[in-house]
Amino acid sequence: MSLGVSIAALMRASLLTTMRYRASFFGEVAMAVAWAFWTTVPLFVVFDQAPTLAGWTTEEALAVVGFFIIAQGVLEALVDPNLRAVVEHVRQGTFDFVLLKPIDAQLYVSLHRTEPLKLVHCVVGAGVVAYAAKAVDAGPVELLSATLLMFAGLTLLHSLWTVVVSSAFFFVKVDNLSWLIRAGLDAGRWPVSLYRGFVRFVLTFVLPIGLVTTYPALALRGELKPSTGLGAMVIAVLFAGVARIAWTQSLRRYSSASS
Amino acid sequence: MFRAFPTLLRIGFAEAVAYRAELVIWVLTATAPLISMFIWDRVAEEGPLGGWGQGEMARYFLLTLIVRHLTSAWVVWELNENIRTGGLSPMLLRPMHPLVFFVAQNLSAMPLRAVILAPLIVGVLWWRPELVWTPEPWTLLLGLVSAVFAWAIAFAAQVIFGSLAFFSQQSLGLFNVYFGLWSLGSGYLFPLELAPDWLRQLLLWLPFRATLATPVELLAGLVAWEDALGLVAAQVVWAVVFVGLAAMTWNLGVRRHEAVGA
Amino acid sequence: MIQVTALNKVYTVPKRGEGLWGSIRSLFSREVEEVRAVADLSFSIQAGERVGFLGPNGAGKTTTLKMLAGLLVPSSGERVVAGFDPSKRDPAFLRRITLVMGQKQQLLWDLPPIETFALNRALFGLDEAEARRTQDELIELLELGPLLNRPVRNLSLGERMKCELAAALLHRPDVLFLDEPTIGLDVRAQGTVRRFIAEWNERSGATVLLTSHYMADIAALCPRVIVIAGGALRYDGPLKDLAERYGGGRKVVVRTRDEAPETLGPFTREDGALVARLPSAEVAAAVDFALRQVAVADLSIEEPPLEDVLSKLFAERS
Repeated sequence: MSLGVSIAALMRASLLTTMRYRASFFGEVAMAVAWAFWTTVPLFVVFDQAPTLAGWTTEEALAVVGFFIIAQGVLEALVDPNLRAVVEHVRQGTFDFVLLKPIDAQLYVSLHRTEPLKLVHCVVGAGVVAYAAKAVDAGPVELLSATLLMFAGLTLLHSLWTVVVSSAFFFVKVDNLSWLIRAGLDAGRWPVSLYRGFVRFVLTFVLPIGLVTTYPALALRGELKPSTGLGAMVIAVLFAGVARIAWTQSLRRYSSASS
Repeated sequence: MFRAFPTLLRIGFAEAVAYRAELVIWVLTATAPLISMFIWDRVAEEGPLGGWGQGEMARYFLLTLIVRHLTSAWVVWELNENIRTGGLSPMLLRPMHPLVFFVAQNLSAMPLRAVILAPLIVGVLWWRPELVWTPEPWTLLLGLVSAVFAWAIAFAAQVIFGSLAFFSQQSLGLFNVYFGLWSLGSGYLFPLELAPDWLRQLLLWLPFRATLATPVELLAGLVAWEDALGLVAAQVVWAVVFVGLAAMTWNLGVRRHEAVGA
Repeated sequence: MIQVTALNKVYTVPKRGEGLWGSIRSLFSREVEEVRAVADLSFSIQAGERVGFLGPNGAGKTTTLKMLAGLLVPSSGERVVAGFDPSKRDPAFLRRITLVMGQKQQLLWDLPPIETFALNRALFGLDEAEARRTQDELIELLELGPLLNRPVRNLSLGERMKCELAAALLHRPDVLFLDEPTIGLDVRAQGTVRRFIAEWNERSGATVLLTSHYMADIAALCPRVIVIAGGALRYDGPLKDLAERYGGGRKVVVRTRDEAPETLGPFTREDGALVARLPSAEVAAAVDFALRQVAVADLSIEEPPLEDVLSKLFAERS
């Protein structure tokens, strides 16, 4: 109950802050559509050369891009602005005020500087996914499992984000880290089965971007084994746990080393 | 004012060393050409593409990675930050043009960037030894000249968008739009050779190719002599246009800055 | 309310070389230096006390405050604040303390202060009616009415500080850590903040631990002071005794009708007047003596300026 109140208050303050600068809802929609276009162009160029690649048709790969756009929307709305705010807090020493609030600091920094308007990207991404879903004739079961896997993937993304934020306590100037997440995610705009060997291994197990975009798309095609789907969710939970540990450890370091 | 240049370079280098962890991150973030390389490698397996085999394709993206890093600029962020926070005002009081300072800062970070990038390149070459090639002397020379122009255009473009911060809080958003167009039109994500016809026709009239694809294709030996000179000539024209525009937006911006006193 | 025993804090800081060679070398080796910020500090503060925490720059004041607020873990030693171990940052503990830093702000920069208040009410899980009452009380005391709906970035430093105080006190904490709350403020704003702190302490009975470089703050607010230098305790006791012990006593100046003698009892001649520096207990006798010996035109007894007392204290042993 009181947690809900806190979250609502944080979202409210975020929304009010973004509205100070850019109240342009339509500008954001235009940008989101343009980005979706730019994101899909390379896909069409590739599939112009080869009608199917590693068992993926254009429409199926389009689903991957759709989930990629959704993930990017989450990145823009939640991950990136909050990350930059935390870095700023640490640099200016105002992070102390965060720690003095009687609310979980990880929750606080995850939400305190959200840009809700950027969620428009997620809507556009969902549109792309819907188009692809129609093209591959996805049924309700496929849609449901794809949605579940998407949330597992987003959990994972948030965990990666938490690990990066944790490192903000160790480096001097880490604004660039948000670009690192972005670059990592960028590999996820292609079905992970297009990669080979070591790269594929990394993208599936170490930095499981494949889980964020490819697995939901596979589920949409009805080609994801239930065991793989469950495994993906377990991995997501595992990552969340690891991220939590990284966060608490770096807080401990922050409060023993800062001045 | 150029007497101070060596000192600036030295300080810039020391600064780059101090921020080495961040520099590593920066280098790692711009590895999209590697991703493109993996994908196109896969596509090229299905058969040659527009006369390019697997080898040419992989080499193209390896060179894209290298050229992208050694011609990169980040002055748009520096300008935006300094204009927004007022850090530019003291710079304007120095007896040295702020842009000279930023040029020095940009150039002096290059050696360390190259050092950080080297293991990646070596790793790729170790994985695909057939990618090693010996370019002809004239393509190498022309390619390097072309890379310098590519950097100049990229830097000037960033000065233009950075100077827009004098006028608008949305300047970085505008730069992102430019970057989006650039990534499609410069050969960064796919070789322009393989773009649909209408796009290729369009790109002939746009500046993006001059900032990346031209030096990359020259260095990879994918361009014939007579085409090469035309491409470099186009770069020179674009460099003149962009530097002119950059000088104009900068001067207008500074005048406004002085009037408003931000 | 606050109990500190043998508190220590040691930092390690990397050394970085100078020049080109130095910056290359620091790539490979990391020499570290140990800095002892707080050394064997012990004191205790009762509920409702107002204590001034003094020391030169880098003395360890902020470090100590942060350790008490649970932001920093000490290298060794014990501290109990409001019955809690601060390190755990128990929400129940955080609801009972507050920290105000004059150099840093928690107010949401782009929004009016009223939004920060709303956020803090939610985050601290305060009872709405009661929190509103506290908020109104703070608004009245600090005269925030006209500021509430202006974005923070448009407020002056003094206005911002007043809003900071209000935001920090909405949850009615029992312990107030105030780190340089008046820094950079003009004389009038300093006075407002000072009066407010005193008033709030009276009203709420909260314990106040305050650092400041403005002696006027300390003189007006703190009957008791704790002085540290180089991380170690130098003095802990009433403010008035501090001047007594380290000020070299009071300055008694006697101007005579006729030319003053070179020396007279405890007095010596300075600029044509007789001057003596004496502990307060001896002042009366000395004045009495002077009045009987010479024809006195004017007589004054001056307290030593607090700044002088402190710089003497800081210089000693360090």
